[in-house]
Amino acid sequence: MSIASAIVNNTPIFGKMFTVDKSTGLEEINAWPALMIMSSFVWLAVAGLLGLVMPTTQIFDLSSDHFYTTLTLHGAALTFPFSFQLMMGVGLHRSGGCVGKAITGWLPALSWLSMNLGAAILTVAVLMGLKVSVVVMFPLPLVGAQMGIWSMESVIVGFTGIYLVLSCMILWYPLLVFKMLFFGKKRAELVLSERSLNEPGMLGMILAAATLLLTGLPLVVVGTTLLLALYKIIPMSLAAWAAEPVVFQYTFYLFAHNLMEAMALMVASAMYATLPLYLADGSRKLYSEKLANLALWILLVTSVTSGLHHFITFYPNQPAALSYWGNIMSWGTGLGAAISIFTVLATIWQHGLKAEPGIIAVLVGWALYILDGASAIVTSNIVWTYQLHGTMWQSGHFMTVILAMSMMWMGVLYHHYPVLTGRKLDPALGRLYIKMMTIGSFGAAIVMLAGGAAGMPRRFAAWNQEGWMLYGHLILIFGLILGASFVVYLYNLMKSREISAPMGELARA
Amino acid sequence: MLDYVYTGWGAFSATMFMFVPFALMAYYVIRRKSLVDTGPTSLQPSEFAPLEGIWLTFAFIFFVVVNLASLKFIPWATASAAVTGEPEVHVDFTAKSWSYDISNRQIEAGKPVRFSGRSSDTQHGFAVYHPDGRVLFTMLMMPNTAKPTSVVYTFKEPGKYKVRCLEYCGIAHHAMQDELTVVKSN
Ligand code: HEM
Ligand SMILES: [Cu+2]
Repeated sequence: MSIASAIVNNTPIFGKMFTVDKSTGLEEINAWPALMIMSSFVWLAVAGLLGLVMPTTQIFDLSSDHFYTTLTLHGAALTFPFSFQLMMGVGLHRSGGCVGKAITGWLPALSWLSMNLGAAILTVAVLMGLKVSVVVMFPLPLVGAQMGIWSMESVIVGFTGIYLVLSCMILWYPLLVFKMLFFGKKRAELVLSERSLNEPGMLGMILAAATLLLTGLPLVVVGTTLLLALYKIIPMSLAAWAAEPVVFQYTFYLFAHNLMEAMALMVASAMYATLPLYLADGSRKLYSEKLANLALWILLVTSVTSGLHHFITFYPNQPAALSYWGNIMSWGTGLGAAISIFTVLATIWQHGLKAEPGIIAVLVGWALYILDGASAIVTSNIVWTYQLHGTMWQSGHFMTVILAMSMMWMGVLYHHYPVLTGRKLDPALGRLYIKMMTIGSFGAAIVMLAGGAAGMPRRFAAWNQEGWMLYGHLILIFGLILGASFVVYLYNLMKSREISAPMGELARA
Repeated sequence: MLDYVYTGWGAFSATMFMFVPFALMAYYVIRRKSLVDTGPTSLQPSEFAPLEGIWLTFAFIFFVVVNLASLKFIPWATASAAVTGEPEVHVDFTAKSWSYDISNRQIEAGKPVRFSGRSSDTQHGFAVYHPDGRVLFTMLMMPNTAKPTSVVYTFKEPGKYKVRCLEYCGIAHHAMQDELTVVKSN
């Protein structure tokens, strides 16, 4: 038994949901993904609750410190160890079965460990007082320490945690994907549904891993320099260039923006792979693979530089030309979305759909992603961003993009769950989950966008002015429905029943 | 009309303008093809092609028009001295945790004002709110920049205009507020 299976088997409550089916001989592609998926849901359980704490602190006028602590933990935990890790687990399992290669060795172990240990260390730092939000707002950590708002120790601990999380996303996970897809021998007994690397279902995985690696490397250099200085291994004077706010911020967003796009590429590719399996006429074909691939390429090419839209209001420190560029490229990603809309709907129109919960969750998540995309290109327009930057619109967009991708992965997981665990899910609970998550997520998204339109600031512990508390109450209500939908989803996993037929056969059917 | 489009609520409307038709179409297609008429369609792939062209052309034109029409509202281009021929009033400020140092808090309506700001510690924002609660514009300042962050804005109505920091800057970020007074021009 692998270490991964051992950890899953010994985890209370969540372990039961992800115990890998050993009878299939597929443990080598299932064990590490199962552990990653399980860990991601542990983080969701904790950080989802923190989401509800935020509006609660505001409605009951509790200390603003609590708000900023929960804000930081909520954003960081749901972006990295929940959403990214869920994607990593489901994506690895899926592509392992497509190319017939084992997910074993030190790279999956390192990916899992650096993500979870890093996130845990970051959590400790936040509890020590470091409240810098998920995007760090550099040089806030250092300035806060100088002002005595939090300790220098908490900054060092926090950077260590962030560094480990980044190493997972920028190095270990992309290297693992490349190793798996381009090296090693294919083993016939691990092939579940064979795919070539040119199919949209695989192309997205490769493009995404390349994006993470390439756009992340500058941040690795800057981060390593800073960390060495914080640990006093090199003198601060040698790290001064990296601690320059403009340098740090641009390197950070070059990666952070592309992290979101890479996750989008990956989930779009999973959707293109899953949808054909649910076509009513059994044709298993997209309307056009070429068009699907074109959408992925457009998303890739436009996204690399569209991150400039984060700094439009920094004019003239960000030159106007770069802001126009960011504006145009962002709307270019919209063209990619328009193409994907056409591909998906034309595919369904051509072949009919078997509306099972897995694929419906993927499609609803995708619709949420389109809503998010619309809000994202709107706020990338120079004029609109001057009125929306820093408002709840931005939080709404950020949370919705993460939520949409997570819902799509939860749908893909629903599809793969029987192969992973040898157990079946209850479709009635699946449909209930979809209904609740649809109401909760679209509701929360629209309310947060509306709050932003009304001028409600993001990351701001005083909603009780200008009538903004209305949005606060609505966020709490939709958040409760959203939280309940996750409970239903996890309850379904917990209640899943053994499938009697040998899973190895079913998996290959 | 255009004045409304390029505000916060205009942004909301534009988002819904893109999303709602998509949502209705997606709902219709998915419902119909999974419940009502699940068989494959008799339409040939070639019959989709014109639809594909129309859809993508429409999206492209919409994207171009929305962005082109927004140009004249960019706060670098509008109301600048070069455009209106009027001299600019200067308001300079420094942001620090958690307050502003503002050169001049009283402004005449109708005169183009150039706001120029710097930060002396961490990232800060400078968002000016209309008395009715809308954001008029926001600015982002980082420490150590060669130039100040800058926009030009012309106030139309007299009143009290709140200033708030919209870049998270630590535990008293929400208290980082100020106020400008716009008076009738004489
Ligand atoms: C369970 C119900 C939830 C509630 C009530 C909730 C509430 C909120 C609120 C109020 C904010 C905005 C904070 C601010 O900017 O002032 C926020 C931000 C955010 N939420 Fe949630 N949330 C929930 C679930 C989730 C889930 C499930 C995810 C991810 C899958 C998520 C991801 C995020 C992210 C990434 C941010 C942005 C953080 C930032 O910009 O600093 N949330 N959430
Ligand atoms: Cu501030």
